Amino acid sequence: MLFPTLGFLLFFLIVAAAMAVLDTRFAAKKAVLVVASYYFYAQWDWRFCFLLAGSSALSYLAGQLIDKAPDRGRARTILGIAVALHLGLLGAFKYFDFFISSANQLARLLGLEHELPFIEILLPVGISFFTFHGISYITDVYRGDVAVCRNPLDMLLYMSFFPQLVAGPIVRAAYFLPQLARPSTEPIPIGPALLLILSGLFKKVVIANYLATGLVDPVFSAPTSYGGPDLLLATYGYAVQIFCDFSAYSDMAIALAALLGFRFPANFNQPYRAQRLREFWQRWHISLSTWLRDYLYKPLGGNRDGRLRTYRNLLLTMLLGGLWHGAAWKFIAWGALHGGGLAVERMLEPWIGRRALSPVAKIIATLVVFHFVCFAWIFFRAEDFAMASLYIGGLATGWSGGLQQAGPFVVALIALGLAGQFTPDALFDRVALAFARVPSWGLGAMAGIVVALINALGPEGVAPFIYFRF
Amino acid sequence: MVALERELREPLAPAPSTTTADAIPLALRRHGGSPRQVLAITFIGILALALFASRDLPSWVGGLGDGPLIERAQPLATKWDDAMASIGLTRPHEALRDLIRRLLDAQW
Repeated sequence: MLFPTLGFLLFFLIVAAAMAVLDTRFAAKKAVLVVASYYFYAQWDWRFCFLLAGSSALSYLAGQLIDKAPDRGRARTILGIAVALHLGLLGAFKYFDFFISSANQLARLLGLEHELPFIEILLPVGISFFTFHGISYITDVYRGDVAVCRNPLDMLLYMSFFPQLVAGPIVRAAYFLPQLARPSTEPIPIGPALLLILSGLFKKVVIANYLATGLVDPVFSAPTSYGGPDLLLATYGYAVQIFCDFSAYSDMAIALAALLGFRFPANFNQPYRAQRLREFWQRWHISLSTWLRDYLYKPLGGNRDGRLRTYRNLLLTMLLGGLWHGAAWKFIAWGALHGGGLAVERMLEPWIGRRALSPVAKIIATLVVFHFVCFAWIFFRAEDFAMASLYIGGLATGWSGGLQQAGPFVVALIALGLAGQFTPDALFDRVALAFARVPSWGLGAMAGIVVALINALGPEGVAPFIYFRF
Repeated sequence: MVALERELREPLAPAPSTTTADAIPLALRRHGGSPRQVLAITFIGILALALFASRDLPSWVGGLGDGPLIERAQPLATKWDDAMASIGLTRPHEALRDLIRRLLDAQW
């Protein structure tokens, strides 16, 4: 069930009705949200619900056992087992066939005839996200950053809450569980939530979808048929498409949670305006980058043990961050590029690090970071390594022809998507506050009409969000 | 990435792991409504959508799945769309689709 569909709208209407009827009965509201979330998840494949419930049960039990452990050593052992089980589940569903395929390729190179069999199981949507939720909870209990969750209903809701279930943002236990302990006394921020939904719909339905169908998909599927100008614009196009697609989902998830009375953390903050690669990761998929920082980079030692260890930790963290996105070498290459880039940036810090940049230097730095990120996106988007190599080869040599695929409309969409990276923060706040002054009926009518207009502007049908496959 | 900003001179373990900012800042959360208002807005929004996006209603209903209920709902959606077209509410939709078609066909 995708957000921009009639099915989801009717589903949300029923959930909103239940929230309104139950009003102050917080436990009943939570129970309804759990049932709704499992129904939402079952729309992909009902069998995955058992996996989600199992992952929730594992997290709940591990939290209890860690809390009751007589000493730190026992708690650490339980944490290790629970994390291994979580990662085992993720590995079995997401990475098993990738490792088998890689082992078979290696065996062929070594001249061995025997091939290991594939298990070919369907990837459960959202498994990477709810696995990270589970690991975050048990680790935080172990570290003492969050109180153990004694209410199974709260754990079920934390792991399954439908706005973030299939594509994030990754909401930490220490952030979300306290919201389940008692009902919020704050009013529901209807104006900002509607603004997030409408801007998210525009980004997804108009910008991301037209860029995908009008430029990115055709060029990336046959890069040798196009010249350098199309390849370059398709690279920029993909940078804008993936931002508009993923941030749109995050915006809508944040807004839906807000309309149900819950707070979510920010996940994007105009990432392509970053002047350093490090800053890019402070602005892009923030919930993942902070997760990797706290549960991978820091436990590896962070930057405590000298420069070489820091570079190694950066590289390892980003390699695993790449692998998290998918079981393919192209994602590992994408992670390696970012890890290597971060390490090089850190090496150069004595020369570029501490000084304030002049306006011209800021523009140059932004352009350098943006183009580095775009280069890495080629690996991320290409079908495989070989296609990425052909694509980069075309970019390097094929500049004799003109534009075949990129028309004025898609170029305008790229410009619009990039211009959105440089709007002042106060703009959103001002519009959201203006929304807050409109009466409810007016907001509802306006939202309905704007959604109808966005729908008319977009292509027919609904394309799935890119991050659903991760 | 975020972690790299800070030099970690202090021991790591006791540091709180959550340093996340709310997506909707506090200043914007001071004004708002109740769950009943959310329900009312959702309902009115769907109504407005049914009025102004009736052209796509039959295909949306088809996208809900199969079954006797959907089979009965689809002719109703088509009838509803015809009714909206007769009072001119489908014109903005058609004008925008036409505009997009021309933009997509535009060449350098």
